[in-house]
Amino acid sequence: MNELKQSGIDVFKHNIKSLLGSFAGSFLRSGKPTSDKSRAAAMFNNFFLHVQGVKTHINTLRPTYTLGLGLISFFLLIITVISGVLLMVYYSPSIEHGYTSVKDINYVVFAGKLIRNVHKWAGEGMIIFVLLHMARVFYTSSYKQGREFNWVVGIVLLILTFGINLSGYMLPWDQLSYWALVIVANIIQSPKEITDSLGITKFFDVGVFSKELFLGGLTAGKESLTRVYLLHIMLLPIFLFIFLGVHFWRIRKDGGLTKPDVFEPKPIDAGLAALPEKRGGIFPTNKTYGLMELAHGRTPVVDRDVENTVLSWPNLLIAEAALFVLCLAGVIAYSFFIDAPLKELANPMIPENPAKAPWYFLGLQELLSYSAFMGGVGLPGLALLGLALIPYLDKEPYHVGIWFSNKQGKRIALESLVVSTIVIIGLLAFVINFGWFRNWWPNVPQMLITLINPGNIWVGFMIVWSLYVIKRTGSTRMGAIALFTMFLISFLIYTYVGTELRGPNWDFFWSKSQWPIH
Amino acid sequence: MRNRFFLWILFLSGAVLFVFTLIAAYREIAPEWKRYQAQYKEQIIKLAKDDATKKKAKELVPAVQQIYLGTLNRIDRCMSCHMGVENPMMANAKLPLKQHSGDYLKNHPPDKFGCTVCHYGQGRATNKKEAHAATRDTHWDFPTIPLKYIQSSCTQCHDYEMLSAKGYDNIAKGAKLFMEKGCRGCHKLNGIGGALGKKLDVVGSQPIAYFPMRFVEGDRNTYNWHKQHFTDPRALVPESEMKINVKPEETDLLATYVLSLRAGEMPKDYRRIKGTQTVEKPDEGEALYRMFCIACHTTGKDSYFDEIFNRTIPAIMKPAFLKTADEKYIKKVVEDGRAGTQMTSWKATAGGLTGVEINNLIAYITKDRPSAKPERFDFAGFKTDLKRGEELYNIRCALCHGKKGQGGEGFLGLNLRNPVVQGADPEFLAITVRDGRSETSMPPFGKKGVGFTDRDIADVVSYVKTMSKKK
Amino acid sequence: MSNETHEKTGMSRRDFLGLASLGAAVISSLTVLAGTFRMFKANVRYEESTKFKIGKAEEFPAGTVKKLDDKGVFILSKDDGIYAISAICTHLGCIVNQVDWGFQCPCHGSRYNEHGKVIGGPAPRSLEWLEISEAVDGSLEVDTAKSVPVGTKLKLYA
Repeated sequence: MNELKQSGIDVFKHNIKSLLGSFAGSFLRSGKPTSDKSRAAAMFNNFFLHVQGVKTHINTLRPTYTLGLGLISFFLLIITVISGVLLMVYYSPSIEHGYTSVKDINYVVFAGKLIRNVHKWAGEGMIIFVLLHMARVFYTSSYKQGREFNWVVGIVLLILTFGINLSGYMLPWDQLSYWALVIVANIIQSPKEITDSLGITKFFDVGVFSKELFLGGLTAGKESLTRVYLLHIMLLPIFLFIFLGVHFWRIRKDGGLTKPDVFEPKPIDAGLAALPEKRGGIFPTNKTYGLMELAHGRTPVVDRDVENTVLSWPNLLIAEAALFVLCLAGVIAYSFFIDAPLKELANPMIPENPAKAPWYFLGLQELLSYSAFMGGVGLPGLALLGLALIPYLDKEPYHVGIWFSNKQGKRIALESLVVSTIVIIGLLAFVINFGWFRNWWPNVPQMLITLINPGNIWVGFMIVWSLYVIKRTGSTRMGAIALFTMFLISFLIYTYVGTELRGPNWDFFWSKSQWPIH
Repeated sequence: MRNRFFLWILFLSGAVLFVFTLIAAYREIAPEWKRYQAQYKEQIIKLAKDDATKKKAKELVPAVQQIYLGTLNRIDRCMSCHMGVENPMMANAKLPLKQHSGDYLKNHPPDKFGCTVCHYGQGRATNKKEAHAATRDTHWDFPTIPLKYIQSSCTQCHDYEMLSAKGYDNIAKGAKLFMEKGCRGCHKLNGIGGALGKKLDVVGSQPIAYFPMRFVEGDRNTYNWHKQHFTDPRALVPESEMKINVKPEETDLLATYVLSLRAGEMPKDYRRIKGTQTVEKPDEGEALYRMFCIACHTTGKDSYFDEIFNRTIPAIMKPAFLKTADEKYIKKVVEDGRAGTQMTSWKATAGGLTGVEINNLIAYITKDRPSAKPERFDFAGFKTDLKRGEELYNIRCALCHGKKGQGGEGFLGLNLRNPVVQGADPEFLAITVRDGRSETSMPPFGKKGVGFTDRDIADVVSYVKTMSKKK
Repeated sequence: MSNETHEKTGMSRRDFLGLASLGAAVISSLTVLAGTFRMFKANVRYEESTKFKIGKAEEFPAGTVKKLDDKGVFILSKDDGIYAISAICTHLGCIVNQVDWGFQCPCHGSRYNEHGKVIGGPAPRSLEWLEISEAVDGSLEVDTAKSVPVGTKLKLYA
């Protein structure tokens, strides 16, 4: 035997010589992916890639189906994490040095301004893309057939995205940060409006209690900055990544992305590498599953449509890499031209006028201007609850994986768009021109305004209209489409009005150029 | 075709990313200040007389120049562009490389004082626009201060006497104007002054948002605001009641003075104060009158109807007034003010004047009191009838003083329920009603005027004295 | 086997584009990464400058020894010139004290002679001599970041 002839020293020498190769081999586990087998191995043997399937359905790779929205949100998150860690090198979370450290990031840190812009815009981009992703999932009925819970996880991720963005907005400790912090603290305090109306504030002051928990005191100060910083870099990200893990894991367990029940590859799909011939390749059509999987009841992917899947390596990975570089390029290009705002140092004596929350909360701020509790807690809570319940109230198992379900769905969506636009603009025009109860009867009890205000009326209308659609079409899916469309449109319109058309003293202006100069 | 599509996206976005990263990197390695540092190097090499200097200049490496001022909590990077401030070779260079004018830096070495302590501006910024911060979009509250106001910075460490002795007397002149124009009649400084206007203790370091900038001409900063506000207060703040009586050339002096009123003190190590640093309170009658009264009462010799206050301001130094108003009454008015009018209380707990000062002030005001006393009324000799007094009041007095004696807004007469009237000697009130108040809207009600009998007057006065109890 | 051939044709079709796009992505990502690493190196220090003025030459007549506590520097003036010795012990950075025979570190007993040469204890190197120079305004400047060979003195009264 050869080994016997070799002395220990020879073996050691050989090991030294082949050190690099054996390290690379141990690192990569499977070699260069050249065959179907090794490509599959490349996916499931890799810590970072095994979260994805070895094979991917062609439908998933169609840009027109997913629009890449979920992945974009994830990539933006990665970009914010990296840029955020970089900013932490120079940022100092104290009211004495926080503002000047951000100034220094802008002025003397190498590429500091660009990195801060990237962090800011990638973060705010996440809000937009998470919402769009939610819309895509909704309109393709992808919350059905075992994916109900993942939709709920998605709602949690949406809330966390808002929370992280908001807490980051406070950190530069400029006028924008400070007054946004004050506004948010008062939103948190707003249940006081209800307890006051009921006369139970002195027994159970939940509003002030939560406000103090958030601010670390009754007024915004150095304790608040510490808490907001903790939320921004530690608590919220931890929860975000936990829920993100669950979200991804459930996508795999629920059978990957949704696809139509009947799927035919189109000629355009032909460019995918290694599109298997029917019943060809190393995988037979019947996949094998462990006993646990089979015993578990629903296994949505078993034995279905396997001939329309392709290997993830390289097909999926190319698409993902392209999207990642696209995100990075997009964010850096945008950040190159548009700077993240940084106003004067926070001054508790002089409020900004208008003191606005960040733009993604300005829809809420419009509702807040009617009633602090309903706008800040009641209606958003109701909206999120309603969104979370959609998969449990609409269980019709058809049209999964098809945009807008069918022709009727498209019609209903369009109809809801028109109706909601008219009703919201009508309500807004009425409030802006005629005011509300307090303008007419100055002594009207607060409880009445809390219960009856334009925000509540709008939400009530959404519910009634959706029920009417269900009744008319006999389909809960159509009702859901109507409700969701109206939710999206109202978010859009209220945010636009709050951002662009509301000026000092929350007065209405057609454009920012008409704002009185201070 | 699908993979080719993705590959194209990958290729194009990779290219875009590469281009933007390169441009961004270029922007980082070639900032504005490097240009100036290169010019500086070039000029030094050209001007150098000996080889050592030339060699030193050639060794200059471009870098952010900063002065770290730990005790002042500042970092000034101005010298990143203003490379030559300390270098005599740059005496004739152009800005920003020019040497600092005068010999100020000899006693104020930049490594101890920095730049922004005197000049303001944003010391941390490394580009001209944001460092000088002239425009509002830079969001910096203290742009570089125009040189005509620069003396306002000196008082952080120096007293007026020292500055004036060296010829920097704008600040002392401004302080003198502040003393003599009656500013403290409405504005408190160091806790002393009237209550109508805003406190001025830290007005020089208030952020821009504190001032309504809407109507300011030119750059919207506090320097322009103060100057224009001293020229015409109502042009900037339409609802302002501020009285101003200064010559155009004096506005800059006053602006310099108020800009020197800053929050926060320099560390002891920096301060060289022996004399006066802010306006002190004089104790002599005439000076007190100038400091506290002159803005409204002017010379005190003529009463006039003031359109901004919407009332007649009495001529408190006119013999006709002094004839009826006795010392006790004037003292009461000065100490407690007149509720419902702009006249504020000047006692130690309010306006901040001590008893001695008030006595000095009154002695000055009453120096022209005629020796002839008004005819005695002898109020105590009458048995008064309140009901009759009320009827007479409602017919004759309510029109100007209001049915409840509230006066003030919308009425010609003053508030009769205020403590000064209510606490006054009825004898004095009766004489006032009988003889009237010359040069105000109050006519004589006695036989020489409206025709009240002394009994009528006594009844009305006794009714007025009960008014504070009426609802 | 059929798979292998299938793949090869697949590869060759997008060979060039694939390489180009991969190259673009990798190169641009590397540029971003390089910028990122550069960012960690601060452009400015958030502390007092290492270069500071100590006063005019007249203030240091021959024979003076002055310890600047806040800077950790000894300024010594002799007949043949003025020089600065760092008070930072080369062992672990404590501040040394001046004694009869030179300098002694209170932390771990390192000893240096009057020129800062190490003569005992754990210190690996002699105390550093620091650059001392005349500034434009005529005052003396010390830079604690620049060391000079032992024995370098600034001649004042040449």
